[in-house]
Amino acid sequence: MTKTGKTLSALVLAFSTVLALPVNAGWFGDDEPLVVTVDTAYIDVYSGPGRGYPIFHALEKGERITLLKSRTQWIKVLTDKGTEGWIKRDAMLATIDATGTTPDFADSSRADAVDGSFELGAGFGGFGGADSTTLTLGYRFTRNLTIEARYAQQAGRFSDSEIIAGGITHQPFPDWWVSPYLGMGAGSIKIHPSATLVDTEDREDSVLQASVGAYVYLSRRFFLRLDYTNHYLLTTRENNDEVNEWRVGFNVFF
Amino acid sequence: MASWIQRFLLTGCCLVPLMVSAQDDDPLEPIVGTDIERRAISEDMLDSENFEIGVYGGVLGIEDFGSNAVTGANIAYHITEDFFVEAIYGISEANKTSYELLSGAVELLNDEEREFTYYALSIGYKLFPGQVFIGSNTAFNTHFYITAGGGNTEFAGNRYATYTFGAGYKFYMTDWFALDIGMRDHMFSHELFGETRNTNNFEGRMGLSVYF
Repeated sequence: MTKTGKTLSALVLAFSTVLALPVNAGWFGDDEPLVVTVDTAYIDVYSGPGRGYPIFHALEKGERITLLKSRTQWIKVLTDKGTEGWIKRDAMLATIDATGTTPDFADSSRADAVDGSFELGAGFGGFGGADSTTLTLGYRFTRNLTIEARYAQQAGRFSDSEIIAGGITHQPFPDWWVSPYLGMGAGSIKIHPSATLVDTEDREDSVLQASVGAYVYLSRRFFLRLDYTNHYLLTTRENNDEVNEWRVGFNVFF
Repeated sequence: MASWIQRFLLTGCCLVPLMVSAQDDDPLEPIVGTDIERRAISEDMLDSENFEIGVYGGVLGIEDFGSNAVTGANIAYHITEDFFVEAIYGISEANKTSYELLSGAVELLNDEEREFTYYALSIGYKLFPGQVFIGSNTAFNTHFYITAGGGNTEFAGNRYATYTFGAGYKFYMTDWFALDIGMRDHMFSHELFGETRNTNNFEGRMGLSVYF
């Protein structure tokens, strides 16, 4: 081998070592495969993450499988022979991991959802005579208390408006299937009268909110939310305004 | 002092093999093999792929204002294998109405008012899961879906409460990359022509989605 060839091969070797290093170490830290062993007669493997997709393979007892990822209640697995497919999340209860125990895929319940989590919600309803759409982002900082940012848009016959507010809600019984709450908040409302009306001006007022409502547990991380809010508008005119809003929506915890 | 150190080192040397053999005796070792680090697995360690983000383009028929190009983006969260929630945001621009074209000089809306944007928050249901075959060896997962929801449309300097209904077809090129062919109907009522008018604004669209 010539000198240049040697240098080149040394360079390539050094370069490939450098390249290989982070790959082996894993870019994102924990890169070790999650391997479990089938501990039941068989597990059906589906072609997609849903019960309607065809079953094209069965895992045998004692077979080792690598867990790749999950989507809703389905887990994508890879067998030692290289077959990839989806198994039901419940099937994890019929496997054992390297410690000889069943992997921890306990059913998340309402109790899990109410522990230090964020929630994103959307709701629709009536705001006085107008239709309203509301987006909320909440953070549950204790079992019972949630701070919440609210953004709502209302489209009415004579005016459109939007509300930006912050608030706090209290759920006395967060574990209940139907869990009531009380809330209060404050923010500002911007009102734009309809462009079809003449001689109008936008105005901005402070608004105080008092609400009562309930979360209804639907499924994993998913709640129906019912809400009734009294908005008290502190206007610059002689009288303050009061608007009642009802709303139905859904919240996702993550 | 020296004997203390010796004792300490010796104890250490004797204990290490003892501990190793204790581990070797574990009856579960042969089942799971020896090359795997012993680690309890929990759901949190598994990468979940429940979010979907996508872009789309298509044609939006704005009632009385012609057919117009529309582009938009969507984000979805898949709650169960059946249900998902979706937020969509789209932008389009209205053409002239037939009346404006025929009359020649009349302009109902200025350029800014012709901008048409909408958003909708919907709940969706996936149905008819299955596979399509291309050639004899390649199969792709597909399913249909329907959505229902609401939001707002901004058009002609006003905001209109809008109900949105839709349906579509998802074609998964891989688990995390899908082609979406669908339609949406954005329904709202306006009073641009003097009296209240309920409008259906149909949108045909094609998009790409990534799951993460």
